[in-house]
Amino acid sequence: MSTYLRQLAAIVRKDLVLEFRSKDRLVAMGAFAVLAAVLFNFSLDNASVRPRDVLAGLVWMTLVFGGLLGVGRTFHLEAEDDAFRGLMTSPAPKDAVYLAKVVVNFVLVYGLSVLALGVFSLFLAVDVGANLPGTLLVLALGALGFVALSTLFAAVSTGTTMGETLLPVLVFPLLLPMVVFGAGATGRLIAGRPFAEVAGNVRVLGAFAVAAVAAGAVLFRFVVEE
Amino acid sequence: MALEARDLVREYGSVVAVDGIDLKLAPGEALTVFGPNGAGKSTLLGMLGGAMHPTRGTVSIGGVAIDPSVTSWRHRVGILSHRGFLYARLTAAENLRFYADLFGLDDPEARVAQGLGRVGLTDRARTEARHLSHGMKQRLSLARALLHDPEIVLLDEPYTGLDPSAAAVLRNVLGELKDGARTVVVVTHNLREGLAMATRVAIQLRGRFVWEGAANDLDAVAFERHYHETIEVAA
Repeated sequence: MSTYLRQLAAIVRKDLVLEFRSKDRLVAMGAFAVLAAVLFNFSLDNASVRPRDVLAGLVWMTLVFGGLLGVGRTFHLEAEDDAFRGLMTSPAPKDAVYLAKVVVNFVLVYGLSVLALGVFSLFLAVDVGANLPGTLLVLALGALGFVALSTLFAAVSTGTTMGETLLPVLVFPLLLPMVVFGAGATGRLIAGRPFAEVAGNVRVLGAFAVAAVAAGAVLFRFVVEE
Repeated sequence: MALEARDLVREYGSVVAVDGIDLKLAPGEALTVFGPNGAGKSTLLGMLGGAMHPTRGTVSIGGVAIDPSVTSWRHRVGILSHRGFLYARLTAAENLRFYADLFGLDDPEARVAQGLGRVGLTDRARTEARHLSHGMKQRLSLARALLHDPEIVLLDEPYTGLDPSAAAVLRNVLGELKDGARTVVVVTHNLREGLAMATRVAIQLRGRFVWEGAANDLDAVAFERHYHETIEVAA
């Protein structure tokens, strides 16, 4: 394994171990998904609104808001004992640090979106099995684009006096195109439309995710260097 | 020169934390920098270790100017801050293993065991850092800083808050650094400990070295009096 990959893997492993030991973000994000599903289960009037028509919006709402809840705290793991400076003064390249954070956040946010899809479909009694692989692919690309941007901006907002409250203000406008294409594709797949109908949306989501990861990897060092 | 700084300046807005410091240290030399709070000692150390960019001036290691944005030279430097750079929920061994991987060390498990043994924490290998005493954390931080066997060692207030037994362990390990191959810079308030490990001494006030000298020529009592007079006059 090259040194770069070893450094990246070490940061990923460390963050996942810390995450599963502290459970801070896991509990916050999981509770948000379940609570949102419970609330919408009671508030939706099935006579006037078909659950299948709103399911994609609810899943994407959970991905974005629940995701921000978790991603906003990305660098809190490093705040204790000034560990981030230890990371920054190590030979690990800044882009490896960023990519490792993206990998860990992707695991959390994609897990959240799959959980949201599961609990919403269960509570609202919607069968999502017909296009499940396609739906999972759309959510994966959406989660990747989302964490690529929000991880970069989490690094920006952590260094400000407003902290994580600034994150939604910074990141929402940039996420809008991805959410529009992602929610649209997810809605059509849940409605049972063929995958070919959303292939264009999927390509846009993929391009967005790749561009966001590349931009984040290049820009991260300008955000974190003193 | 192992470590060299030329006209090093760091400004925070209108505040000049480090104001034109020059230093040259050969392998085997140990410089202790004394100074009151706010003298800019930690900022100086931060720039020497590449943790922050200087506003002006350069830092060179082995004659090559370092760029804080580049990471290839960082394995040559070990930093012990007054903050430990440790993860509270990782065990002592996991903390060292993490840094062993970041520094790309061969045989990381053996290096971790060796590092823990060096600071007397072998029996605490599986204890999470948050359950260690302050002295143990400081020893673990020292093991972390020296894990990759750096040629330049930068120590920021290493004795702060240590009990006598932890200070003795730290003193022994730092004594091992006087092997003639390493260059050490220490910033501290602790005159006795600082003088014990120095070959050269400087007093920093308002970002500048206002006094420099060789440690072996110094009378510790006279130096202590001179130091206090210097900072009182400055105050």
